[in-house]
Amino acid sequence: MLKASRRNFFAHKGRLALSLIAVVLSVAFVTGTLMFTSTITKTFDRLFATTASDVAVTPKTDKDALPGSPEQTVPAAVLDAVKTLPGVQAAYGDISTERLAVVGADNKAISNATGGPTIASNWYVTPHPAVNLTSGQPPAGAGDVVVDADTAAKKHLAIGSRLRIVTDTQAGSFPVTVSGIATFRTTNPGASLFFFDTETAQTKLLGKPGVFTGVNLDAKPGTADDTLKGEVAAKLGAGYDVKTRAQQEADGRNSVGFIGFMKYVMLGFAGISLLVGAFLIINTFQMLVAQRTRELGLLRALGASRGQINRSVRFEALLLGVIGATLGIASGAGLAYGLIALMNNVGLNLDTSDMEITVPAVGAGYAVGVLVTLLAAWIPARRAGRITPMAALRDAGTPGDRRASRIRNLIGLLVLAGGAAALVGGAAAGANGGGAALLGLGVLISLVGAILLGPLLAGVVIRVLGAWLPAVFGSIGTMAQRNALRNPRRTGATAAALMIGLSLVSGMAVVGSSLVTSATSEMDKTVGADYILTANGGLEITQEALAKARATPGLEHVTENRFLNATVSGGTGDGKMAFSASSPTMVQDFNVRTTAGSLNDVFTKGGIALPEAEAKSRHMVVGSVATVDFHGGTKPVQLPVLAILRDDTVFNHGDGYVSLDTLGKTVPADRLPAVDLVFAKADKGQQDQAYQALKSSMEPFPQITVKSQTDYKKLIHDQVSSVLNMVYGLLGLAIVVAILGVVNTLALSVVERTREIGLTRAIGMSRRKTRRMIRLESVVIALFGATLGVGLGLAWGVTAQKVLSGVGISTLAIPVGTIVAVFVGAAVVGLLAALMPAFRASRMNVLRAIAADG
Amino acid sequence: MTTAAQAAVTHRTVGTAARAQAVSKLYGRDETAVTALDRVDVDIERGRFTAIMGPSGSGKSTLMHCLAGLDSVSSGQIWIYGRDGQASELTAMKDKELTNLRRDRIGFIFQSFNLLPTLNALENITLPMDIAGRKPNKAWLDRVIGTVGLEPRLKHRPSELSGGQQQRVAVARALAGQPEIIFGDEPTGNLDSRSGAEVLGFLRRSVDELGQTFVMVTHDPSAAAYADRVLFLADGRIVDDMSAPNADKVLDRMRQFDAHGHVDRGDAAQR
Repeated sequence: MLKASRRNFFAHKGRLALSLIAVVLSVAFVTGTLMFTSTITKTFDRLFATTASDVAVTPKTDKDALPGSPEQTVPAAVLDAVKTLPGVQAAYGDISTERLAVVGADNKAISNATGGPTIASNWYVTPHPAVNLTSGQPPAGAGDVVVDADTAAKKHLAIGSRLRIVTDTQAGSFPVTVSGIATFRTTNPGASLFFFDTETAQTKLLGKPGVFTGVNLDAKPGTADDTLKGEVAAKLGAGYDVKTRAQQEADGRNSVGFIGFMKYVMLGFAGISLLVGAFLIINTFQMLVAQRTRELGLLRALGASRGQINRSVRFEALLLGVIGATLGIASGAGLAYGLIALMNNVGLNLDTSDMEITVPAVGAGYAVGVLVTLLAAWIPARRAGRITPMAALRDAGTPGDRRASRIRNLIGLLVLAGGAAALVGGAAAGANGGGAALLGLGVLISLVGAILLGPLLAGVVIRVLGAWLPAVFGSIGTMAQRNALRNPRRTGATAAALMIGLSLVSGMAVVGSSLVTSATSEMDKTVGADYILTANGGLEITQEALAKARATPGLEHVTENRFLNATVSGGTGDGKMAFSASSPTMVQDFNVRTTAGSLNDVFTKGGIALPEAEAKSRHMVVGSVATVDFHGGTKPVQLPVLAILRDDTVFNHGDGYVSLDTLGKTVPADRLPAVDLVFAKADKGQQDQAYQALKSSMEPFPQITVKSQTDYKKLIHDQVSSVLNMVYGLLGLAIVVAILGVVNTLALSVVERTREIGLTRAIGMSRRKTRRMIRLESVVIALFGATLGVGLGLAWGVTAQKVLSGVGISTLAIPVGTIVAVFVGAAVVGLLAALMPAFRASRMNVLRAIAADG
Repeated sequence: MTTAAQAAVTHRTVGTAARAQAVSKLYGRDETAVTALDRVDVDIERGRFTAIMGPSGSGKSTLMHCLAGLDSVSSGQIWIYGRDGQASELTAMKDKELTNLRRDRIGFIFQSFNLLPTLNALENITLPMDIAGRKPNKAWLDRVIGTVGLEPRLKHRPSELSGGQQQRVAVARALAGQPEIIFGDEPTGNLDSRSGAEVLGFLRRSVDELGQTFVMVTHDPSAAAYADRVLFLADGRIVDDMSAPNADKVLDRMRQFDAHGHVDRGDAAQR
């Protein structure tokens, strides 16, 4: 029997080729993702290994600090205190900060396209440096800087290049000259490094003499890191974090958690394409079994048992899985290599020689490829086993209208109804009532329901969709439509494969466009400010910049906003929440909608505003008195609640408000969080002039971006679009696999209908019309898939919008353009998929076709 | 070459529906080549029922396929003549012209699998005209359908029809387009004798009453008996041409082929 199935496998290799491609693509995506992310992880691990010291002392981690609160430091006294400990071989005061912008000759910040950080450090010599000075001199004074070789190469910097360093300390900005170039000992994945002499780093970058951001210790030979850690901790007390090398490396790994996230996202998409591939495999095996009904019947008549037939089909699947997985793993390595090259092009620095074909990646590739193929072939194998010996005697003919079973339809209807109920329930529950979980459940269940109902829906939808076909294309149209309807199960499965990708595309498109529309309309309704200033690169909007902005002609007012955490207690609950501390003109710039009280009072009378959810959880109403412990404040203060804010907002969602004056009374100036958002409003009729003036007065501060409302809307739109495009790109794989499925179905249909096609050719159908008939059938199947996909996607998208309407996505926007594009795209996909099958059908030898067996 | 065949070539073209001249068909190449047709000359008379007979491998099906423009010839020429006597040379046509010729001027009835399973009986009958984008002649269509007795079955799919009914649909399809010639490849080969007789009766009537030209390949002497003329093929040549046949005469003639399907030369020379 095994010999028979092996022969069969290779006899039908052409027909299995497309299934094979589907397995290869999916496995390649899985293994490629694993190899790619493990290469990145390895690069970072090696980097952290070289930058970690035996023991590091850093300021106690402040969990409440939001980005923008002042940099934490350790005084030089700590260095002196630990230097003399018995286990210490050497101690170094270390400075490492990202609070700077490095500006080139063109007055543009030197930063990476990948958003890799710009890190400034102090230059000191250790026996195990992370970088080696490869040319020039170490930094010797306030005017010197050493830059890493990768950045130098990318930004065309050489010894003698002039740069400007922008800080948010009193030092403001200062000019430097590149004195040397340093090269990493391992691959630097993408940070730009600048080294200053210690004093410059302290006074100018940190703004305080005699402080470090940490102390690095080398242990004496024979002293374990843990022992040294114990010594240091005993000496310094509880005020500092003391970490061993292993702990520092673990911290580093946590800080690049996005790699793990990226891995799971990519694997998720690989999973989707695998699912789609499974449909292709099911269809292929079902068709192969149907075609071989007579042959299998003969085997049964000759005494092969059900189990043997069953096993022989499964063995073919196993062969397909193993071959597909092997090729897929090889392609996966190629894919990972390509991704690394791509990353190098966009600025992330990875070394292809770090890539290795790991055991987990290969294991996952085989597991996924073989398991999915075997599972997909399960049903066709069972069906093959059920073929009776009588089948050998019957005229095989074409498999007729095998009606989709009633039971399947009934189950499908029930499941789809269940999915719809979950979606409706989710929409009704909203984000705070567990709507998201119901949405997820509804998406899953309705997808399964749609797949089960595919054959039934094929009958209904294609009859409707295809109604115009006979009218436009005459009998060709009639035949194409009926051919598509002929085997509803097969058409359903083929279209379902396409549906999966397209439903996700349209669902995401609905959410994306609703988000953009909601944000834009909320901006129109709530944002009164004409300009929005933000700071990038870990820097704040300095007092110097703020003063310049205030002095800009044509501006009516400038509003500063600082963000910080606070513990708010009182009523019956407490807990941390975020606050926006702003100038009183905030109320003119930003129309925060309230459910009770007035935001204006918060600024005039000195109290706080709480978002509804936070107020509810603390059982607070307007007039309640809250005990507020602002981060960095000297002591908790009693403040009245003067306004309750609506929760359904996109901007500053979940933030409370307090005036800067009120905050200033409890938080000393040097502990205030950074100003990282500034609103400005132009005098009436001065919008354009003021915009230009503000832009030019911000010119010396390359870290600050000035955006008008229009710019800001465009930014939101662009950000959403780029996320959507990325998702579409990743879904592209699933769609490609689905197209292969359509090709496969058509190709096998053409083979099955050899005699029919021969007959129509004999009675005068031209080659052109034969091709057109196949193309139309293909387009009908593809459009059916698109209809299902868009239908599901719209249902999901609308539900998602309803679920999220409570948190700001209040307006539903149906992206008509995208949906039209999906349909047009599906039609094109149909045409493309039909290319080869149509060509083959039209080239058939008429006489041989008529004489063909079955 | 018999005198009868030579006589046929001299017929006036107005009475001729199709003509083959020195047609040869070889399969394979060089030493392994098999000669299916060996310089065949034949005229098919208009408005008559011609049967082509011969043992298996005699080339009878090949001859019909070549005459119908389904198969290409290795050498020689084939013409189809319009009702106005206009000659069209099949052997000079490209696929597209041949396709149109088959669609507009020729009808087919195959032994089995004549109908598209997705179309109902009426749609199958009008298919060639639908493909051509022509409106069927309603009166003619009704008459054809009436002749083959299919009115109650027009909306049925082929799977809902008996074998005899399916062949009658195929006959109706062939007649509906008023082609110049209808070719049948053992059209009753798959039918029991009663259904076969029924179908042949229709064909005979279409020749007598509608003036249709009909050429049929068969190996069944009683089917050949419905024809006006029977051509006998052996080894790729026409070896006899019998007018006004009956089943006994045909059976007698067929017995003259030896066990291997070859012509008994001595007997042929006597004639």
